[in-house]
Amino acid sequence: MSDLLNILSNSNKDIDNQKLMDYLSGKLSASEKHEVEKQMAENAMVNDAVEGLQQFKDQKHLESYVDQLQKQLNSYIRQKKARRAKWFKGQYEQWIYFSLVLVLLLIIIAYVVIKRLAHA
Amino acid sequence: MNRPEKHPDYSDQDLLENYYRDGNTEWLGLLLPRYTLLLLGVCMKYLKNEEEAKDCVQQVFLKAITELAKYRVEYFKAWIYMVAKNHCLMRIRDRQGKRSIEINDFHVPSMDETTEGNPHLEKDELLNRMSDALAQLNNEQKQCIILFYLEKRSYQEIAETTGYTLLQVKSYIQNGKRNMKIMLENRMRSGK
Repeated sequence: MSDLLNILSNSNKDIDNQKLMDYLSGKLSASEKHEVEKQMAENAMVNDAVEGLQQFKDQKHLESYVDQLQKQLNSYIRQKKARRAKWFKGQYEQWIYFSLVLVLLLIIIAYVVIKRLAHA
Repeated sequence: MNRPEKHPDYSDQDLLENYYRDGNTEWLGLLLPRYTLLLLGVCMKYLKNEEEAKDCVQQVFLKAITELAKYRVEYFKAWIYMVAKNHCLMRIRDRQGKRSIEINDFHVPSMDETTEGNPHLEKDELLNRMSDALAQLNNEQKQCIILFYLEKRSYQEIAETTGYTLLQVKSYIQNGKRNMKIMLENRMRSGK
């Protein structure tokens, strides 16, 4: 009877993607099916996702879409990281040039001041 | 130093924390793919078009990467779900050329809410109240709730046992669950 308390549950737990795929293709046992459906009853996102995934005409399409999306994401993240590294490198080089110019200026000023003092 | 590729078993929260600490988008590269399938399903549910759903997930990923850099997100799953739903809604609005309202009406759970929502009630008392609420449901809802939560049957098995369709079973469980929560809240409010 204490299972009744599950009705109050509003779970945010993660669902295993493979289990979800197996649920969609009807590969799960009755108790495993119940577990997935319990997550659907407790979590609106899982429920919406299963309802949407059931509308895909072909499971193979689904797997290839997931694969494509992950590849695109990885490629975007790699590009973003490369751009960030380039930006940091650019900033670093700018500071080096700025420091060099500053040191040169200081040397020139010191030279001029020492020369004037020596003349005086 | 923490490197993203060395920690595949991090929780969503750990990955987000690491991202906020060092700004390395590779952490998001571990976090976002966990939601590809769920997001694809959510977008498909609303858009009802495979290619469009796929495109929408891509946009949601880009939006997530941009937005996460701007502010802290506490409950990633609830947040990405809201982003995806709003994005779908925008697309539907663009399709129909109508003004639309953002979907913000869903409950953002605090990690895992179970009986913690009723800290003042003893478990036995809560169970009594739940049993009373169950008894007050109509026959269809009561039957489906008992088979699902107490006898742990799947939707398919319940449909076969009762003769209802799968959609009806799901709807009786969802509505029954909602009605029981409402009855429980009303009793708590009235202090009985």
